[in-house]
Amino acid sequence: MTLLQRLLRGWSLDVWMATLMILLTCSGVSADDEFSFDVEEFEKKALQAGGYVEAKWEHINRNEQGAISWLGLDDDPGNTLDRLGALLQLNGSYTREKLSLYWLLQGSETWQDDEWLDTVDAFEAYVTFKSSANGSGSLGKKSYKWGKGYAWNPVGFINRSKDPNNPDEALEGYITAETEFIKSFSGNLQNLALTTVLLPVTEDVNDDFGQANNMNLAARLYLLYLDTDLDFILYTGNARSTRFGFDVSRNITPSFEVHGEYAFFPNFEKVYLGEEGNSYREKDSEHSLLLGIRHLTEFNLTSILEYYHNGTGYSDDELEEFYSLVSQGAIQYAQSGQDTLLQKAQKLGQQGYTKPYLGRDYLYARFSLKEPWDILYFTPALTTIYNLNDQSYSITPEILYTGLTNWEIRLRFSLLQGRSSTEYGEKLNQNKVELRVRYFF
Amino acid sequence: MKRIQILLMSTAYFLLVYAGIAVAMEPNEILQQVDARMQPRSYEMYRKLINVEPDGTSKEFVLYTVKKGQDKMVALFISPASEKGRATLRLGENMWLYIPNVGKPLRITSLQSVVGGVFNNSDILRLDFSAEYDALGMNEEGEQYVLELKAKNGSVAYDHLKMTVDAKSLLPLDIECYAASGMLIKTLHYSKIKDFGNGMVRPSMLETDSPLYKGYKSVMLFAKMQERELADEVFTLNYMSKVDELRQ
Repeated sequence: MTLLQRLLRGWSLDVWMATLMILLTCSGVSADDEFSFDVEEFEKKALQAGGYVEAKWEHINRNEQGAISWLGLDDDPGNTLDRLGALLQLNGSYTREKLSLYWLLQGSETWQDDEWLDTVDAFEAYVTFKSSANGSGSLGKKSYKWGKGYAWNPVGFINRSKDPNNPDEALEGYITAETEFIKSFSGNLQNLALTTVLLPVTEDVNDDFGQANNMNLAARLYLLYLDTDLDFILYTGNARSTRFGFDVSRNITPSFEVHGEYAFFPNFEKVYLGEEGNSYREKDSEHSLLLGIRHLTEFNLTSILEYYHNGTGYSDDELEEFYSLVSQGAIQYAQSGQDTLLQKAQKLGQQGYTKPYLGRDYLYARFSLKEPWDILYFTPALTTIYNLNDQSYSITPEILYTGLTNWEIRLRFSLLQGRSSTEYGEKLNQNKVELRVRYFF
Repeated sequence: MKRIQILLMSTAYFLLVYAGIAVAMEPNEILQQVDARMQPRSYEMYRKLINVEPDGTSKEFVLYTVKKGQDKMVALFISPASEKGRATLRLGENMWLYIPNVGKPLRITSLQSVVGGVFNNSDILRLDFSAEYDALGMNEEGEQYVLELKAKNGSVAYDHLKMTVDAKSLLPLDIECYAASGMLIKTLHYSKIKDFGNGMVRPSMLETDSPLYKGYKSVMLFAKMQERELADEVFTLNYMSKVDELRQ
């Protein structure tokens, strides 16, 4: 157990007290109307630290008959769940000449089903060395967000999977060694940047990335060519199969942007459901594609639309077979108390059948209206994700208010819809209300 | 008699020269002079943005900004804490926003506003006026020039501007910003002339109001503007997460 984990263990009361005190005592309204500017207040310091504290309440209506509920093997999960959470994110940097240390830490405490659950993670902790504006290197745990898509990134070969409903959240990184070279030009090719990343996988380091005892290489070549962003991305190594792709982004008009990603997996290994609930593996070449647009109207409505073809996902028939196995397992469990089939389904789920966005074709749409009715810092939004293969979907309206300095308040409702044996019809939840309050410091 | 002749000739000479300068100064030359007086070619500066709501409450943002040449600019938010680390980059007509948690730059447009309120991205990442606008006409109104400016292309935030310039200092006083439809979008008012050093004497405050945001006001205060040589590579997507390293 690390020192940080020890310090943060038994947080239940402390975190809640601190959260409550900060929420109650901090006043976010700045009433300075003298228009003065003392720039010395903002002088750079070698040590910089910040972060936020978050309080969250969720009310969830569970989908008791859904496949994911059955895989939990909970005798009586209950049809509703209230969850309270507190989260602390600490980020900062320390710079000394050409060396800088960066960190991003997260600790959370969640109360649900009459018990406390806590997590503590170092999302990032790395040192950078800057030789000039052209070149730099880094060593340590760092998060990568490659790709141009808002909801999905098929070319994010060393990214952690993000939640398309919360694409702006920080994600845990991998321990890597990185070099970066940047060069600017005059002419059609304006900028070029080459990033190379070494990513080791052992039983103790990056063990969730892939097969252990392998050194992996990822590289990205970025070009700004004729006002178009282009990335060529490669991953090779034995922890995962080799893959390569490219992404592109460009403004067609000042308020209309198009983007896309293409990834090719020449030898992708996938687990399939076989006879009697047993699994088998098969290798094949797969293609993934993302096409998207972003449009802004004169009245500040931003629309993001994306189509995602997930070549590494499962077809509608393959998923139906899996849900059918869970259903048979549920009947077996109810009738005899035996969980043999559910155990097999659970194993398949861990191998890929229950990962998020495991289908083949999706549509993502997000509409956000900034400051309607002259209400500053107020943004209502609507997000929907539609599985084109099984016609199941999620729809998420929300309102966001950031008018109080350093505060962010978000109220959101998520509704999941789909018949049985569809992705959203078999999820753990039917709907969820979430209130989230953050205070930044 | 000779003295009177010299006096008359001198007066006539200065009148002719003065008139000659006024006639010789084409609108585009005046616009370039305005740019030259407003900022060095390559510089760094700090700005405070204040959004004031009708009930008097306000929200402030502090930005560190560097600019090079006519078309490269990057602005880093250093306050408040909720915005710290965000950076916006402009390369000619291209604009990107970097948010630390998102971890990658996203393309944005000039009419959006990353801070809310009356200022939009083009106000925050404003290039030289002469880089974006052509001066099509000019009127002299007393001690002021009134320039009619037209956007060079459709990617510029405002289709045309009406810029009032002080004839003596060649500094802007007011700028009315219009959409292509002729609708007034906002008016900018420059004030509080300040000596920033190295011969840079220019307004240190910019106020703006808009008929689209009745009762709202946004203010920009300028500080520590100074010449600085910067590498071109500072103005790239890969550098957006490192802009704070430029601060000294």
